[in-house]
Amino acid sequence: MPIFEQGDVKIDVDEDGFMEEPEQWNEKVAMALATTEGVNELTERHWKLVNYLRDYYAKFGIAPMIRKLCKETGFSLKEVYEMFPSGPAKGACKVAGLAKPTGCV
Amino acid sequence: MKQVNITDEERAKALSPTKKPEVMEKQKLNVRYHVENYNTADRPRRFLEAFAVILKYSNYRFALEHFIRMSAKCARCTVQCPISQVSGDMRDIPCYRSELLLSVYRRHFTIGGLWKGRLLGKDYLTDEKIEEMADAFWNCTACKRCTIECPSGIDHGLIAHLGRYILSEIGIAPRALVVSVREQLEGKTGNTSAIPVPALIDTLEFLEEDMKEAKGIDIKFPLDVEGCDFVFFPAVSDFLMEAETLMGIAAVFTATGGSWTTGTGYFDGINYGLFYSDRMLERIVKKVHAEAVRLKGKSILIGECGHASRSAKYFVPTYCGGESALPVYNIMEYTYRVFKEGRLKLDPNVVTEPVAYHDPCNIARQGWIIDQPREILKAFCKNYVEMEPKGADNICCGGGGGTVSIDEVRPYRTSIAGKVKAEQIRSTGCKYLVAPCANCKKQLRELVEDQKVDCEVVGLHDLIYKAIIFDNTANNKQSAK
Repeated sequence: MPIFEQGDVKIDVDEDGFMEEPEQWNEKVAMALATTEGVNELTERHWKLVNYLRDYYAKFGIAPMIRKLCKETGFSLKEVYEMFPSGPAKGACKVAGLAKPTGCV
Repeated sequence: MKQVNITDEERAKALSPTKKPEVMEKQKLNVRYHVENYNTADRPRRFLEAFAVILKYSNYRFALEHFIRMSAKCARCTVQCPISQVSGDMRDIPCYRSELLLSVYRRHFTIGGLWKGRLLGKDYLTDEKIEEMADAFWNCTACKRCTIECPSGIDHGLIAHLGRYILSEIGIAPRALVVSVREQLEGKTGNTSAIPVPALIDTLEFLEEDMKEAKGIDIKFPLDVEGCDFVFFPAVSDFLMEAETLMGIAAVFTATGGSWTTGTGYFDGINYGLFYSDRMLERIVKKVHAEAVRLKGKSILIGECGHASRSAKYFVPTYCGGESALPVYNIMEYTYRVFKEGRLKLDPNVVTEPVAYHDPCNIARQGWIIDQPREILKAFCKNYVEMEPKGADNICCGGGGGTVSIDEVRPYRTSIAGKVKAEQIRSTGCKYLVAPCANCKKQLRELVEDQKVDCEVVGLHDLIYKAIIFDNTANNKQSAK
């Protein structure tokens, strides 16, 4: 299993760089994972999105529907893509420590 | 089909492996997709054993006996295959690819081949041949366009399907598909996107509120209602990605008084078994049918998804009791019927931008659903533009056959497999590209992004949702059947 290492962050990830054990997530991990998504700085806007994803995931065990994510955080889909270039499902979920989405996602 | 060329640079980028050399070495597999760790010992013997078992318990032998007699070398399919046209690689010619498997069958499973092979002591199945098949069968998007022109009636799509099936039995199959199917058949959530029931309920409640805000009336997603005309199975990823499509479908049912429900026992139309394993195909199809039976539904209704529709339409009768199995419909068949009956009112002044329609291979190639969505679109989209070729001759989005779910092959899908489609879309100048299929939607969105085509990819019901008129006085009381 690949290991992702950056600074003092060391976590198990899958081949696509998603966390294998979401319990290991913390803010440092998020910042380290963000760099793999071409995001060098996590602004307040980024955190709003990431925290919403994490809260929803903790409650339901899955990421929210994209429309719900946009509506409840107030970001348009375009803005989400600007923040996370590979999109909500791949980029934002990865930084938030969620497992890689499966199926036609 | 328009001639489309790519540069050597683009080709190299599209085909460059994303896996580390040590992984390739360990798995003895020079392919771009990830596979789970599997037993690499003795692959030729295990491949032949799996092939023998499949032949014993299926009807593939009848087809193969025909195919090996009809040659497979005229290469007329070349001009039909959007992949071989773009890649220019001989190995992408459909009948070359088919011959990889047909030669194994001829050598090891026919009397003549066995004698000849023994006498001359050659043509044994080798690791190299297995590796070539593992690569070749997953470069095909199973669009079956090659079958249109084949003068011998050879179904190259079926041969690729069988090749993938045998390979999967010895552990060679894209991990993305295997993981999804495992969750669907054995996981806690029982569906490919791993959506738990509370999340489904939360999502549907969210959509109901959203529709109330937008349209000002109550539009429901009925859950677990027994005895409905239709039990609904969308591609389960729609519950994460396609809010407008689902709302459009709910709106059509509400406006026309149709009786439908979604079951919380099982709500996934996706069937990746169609792409790599008949055994999985059977188990998934049975889950769909069992849920519809549990809810005492009168029929199975598949959402906007090509492969889900085809796998249910053609394999529910095969695996779930033949003529006594429940009938299967695609959502567009329902919408078309209520539209023809005059029960679906659409405002012709809402969608004024150019709209084009993309045929998903799995519902168009055999002529099942081609004109129905077009007729609806033409009725309310002022500026409908047609793509050529279309209908049963359509060009694949480039992500068919399960390849769209394999993220690591995206450069291949958007640079080679979908290149002809991208140019086709660009030449229509459409603002909305209607693609009523979860696979096509994902692929086309990545395609227009990577190929820089300026259009928005939507479902048919996304546009219907924009234009639908709720008319309480309409003759919508009668139940839809």
